[in-house]
Amino acid sequence: MLYRVMDSSELPKLIEAFMESYEVIAPVQSGRSVAFEPISSFDEVVLDYPTTLTSLKKYILPPRETLFEFNVDEADITDYTLKVKPRVLFGAHACDINALNNLDLVFEDSRYPDPYYEAHRRATMVIGINCMPTESCFCHLLDADEVRSGYDLFLQDLGGRYLISIGSVEAANILESACELREATDEDRREFRRLTRERQEAFSEDIPDIQEIPMLMDAFHKDEFWEELGGRCLSCTACSAVCPTCHCFDIADTLDPDGKTGRRERILDACTSPQFAVVTGGHNFREGGRERVRHRMYHKLNGFNSKHGRYLCVGCGRCVRACKSDISPIEVLRFFERKGADIA
Amino acid sequence: MGEARKAPRVVFCGLASCFGCQINITNIESHLMEVLGQVDLKYWQLTSSEPMPDEFDVAVIEGAVTTEDAVRTVQALREGAKAVITIGACAATSGIPGMSTSDHEGDLQRVYGEDVPQIVSGGAISPKAVKDVITVDYEVPCCPVDPYDFVEVLQHALYGSNIYRRTSTLCGECKNNERGCFYGRQILCLGMVTRSGCGARCPNLGRPCNGCAGISPDANVDQAKVIAERTGVGQAALEEALRMFNQPEVI
Repeated sequence: MLYRVMDSSELPKLIEAFMESYEVIAPVQSGRSVAFEPISSFDEVVLDYPTTLTSLKKYILPPRETLFEFNVDEADITDYTLKVKPRVLFGAHACDINALNNLDLVFEDSRYPDPYYEAHRRATMVIGINCMPTESCFCHLLDADEVRSGYDLFLQDLGGRYLISIGSVEAANILESACELREATDEDRREFRRLTRERQEAFSEDIPDIQEIPMLMDAFHKDEFWEELGGRCLSCTACSAVCPTCHCFDIADTLDPDGKTGRRERILDACTSPQFAVVTGGHNFREGGRERVRHRMYHKLNGFNSKHGRYLCVGCGRCVRACKSDISPIEVLRFFERKGADIA
Repeated sequence: MGEARKAPRVVFCGLASCFGCQINITNIESHLMEVLGQVDLKYWQLTSSEPMPDEFDVAVIEGAVTTEDAVRTVQALREGAKAVITIGACAATSGIPGMSTSDHEGDLQRVYGEDVPQIVSGGAISPKAVKDVITVDYEVPCCPVDPYDFVEVLQHALYGSNIYRRTSTLCGECKNNERGCFYGRQILCLGMVTRSGCGARCPNLGRPCNGCAGISPDANVDQAKVIAERTGVGQAALEEALRMFNQPEVI
């Protein structure tokens, strides 16, 4: 990996250089929280921000996307090319970059690549930035607090200067032409290590570190805990709306008011929505909150692992804050901790 | 090719309501003629004092059933129509007229005194949702309806559709608007039990959801009461707010 060091005062120049040929998305203040929005000036960017309400997913996998257009009268599909904006997603935290990497495993599968997803992803640069955990962050427990790939640049604030990890030639060219850079020194590397330790030690100790989570998910599949957790689900789907890795979708053909033209759309859905597992004939494979909530947790903490070797959940904590019923992977980890205590 | 398909004959009927849903359909403006071009509009109560025609294919009903006469009207509509569509909260849940269902007789006396006029008491019944009187095929929710929702449902009745109307509640749609949550601020919002589909447009404009889409059949009202208590809003306030658009038995 290639590293460079840049004075913090150079950062506006970097953002402005990106703004010349890209739409730059960055964390900005939005009401009482922070949101990823297009910016028109560096001054809008909040560099040191707590996790945003929703994730960067909306720029790669929008809640609603046209797949093609059709004409009913002519019984024909209109040629359709997705128009994507070349974008820079600036200021992504490690969990959110890991979340995009997880989505890549699904939508860039070599057998069934998704052209819409790929079009967005290829037109998008990702610039990461270091962060400190909030009280609902648990990325470190799911191996998502460090990011090894999936970014074009990653900035570590060393105080007055950034240690920049360079992930792509495209971003490196812009960085080098816009900013004064120097080689990293041993002192920079020592400071990087110190800050990494500081971050690792700042996670909430109220969230238990559980080993062998996928195995425990299987072992306690029939436990009454799921009834208790699912029984309080509101079926509101806030969890999957804010989740950076929830990606299940529905397909709908939407007609224009004239009844002649229309479009086929992909609309993000949620397995916590009551009808998600309804099939032709009307049977619902996951009829109750118990089955639906358990299924969501299984996909996050077990199912995805067996296929891809990593957790789908990245521990960003958004669902922890979005759920008014306190349903979250943290509650599952606490349940396993209690079970461990019961056994001992 | 066979003979050209005849346009389906459509009638609009208004019961106890403000007629705002029928008016809101005209707010689709430039698309109105395109929509009317797909049907043979036989009757629109908003624009006519004539009696309803006898033959039609699709009946669109706004409003709650509040009289014996209205019961006969909707039964006749059901008998004549291949498809019945209700529009708006009054038709779907009995809506605003339905606020008096918990003590209908008492309400009449509080308004008219001991001697309730015959014209009121004679035919009046405790307000009902249309679906509690006849079988309803399609429902367009909310107060008032969104005209585009109406067109989508009408087209569904005319041509079929693969659009699935979920029973999930509103918070997921609200999160997509990135407006934060009222519950951290001790403000009552009915989104957590109200059926989704409107895009959470009131919260997106800074106003809490007042539940006009009705309680979802899959809502977890008991848990919502627990949350209302825990967040300082109070269970009683939640229940009272739900009475505006919902019948007492679902609260």
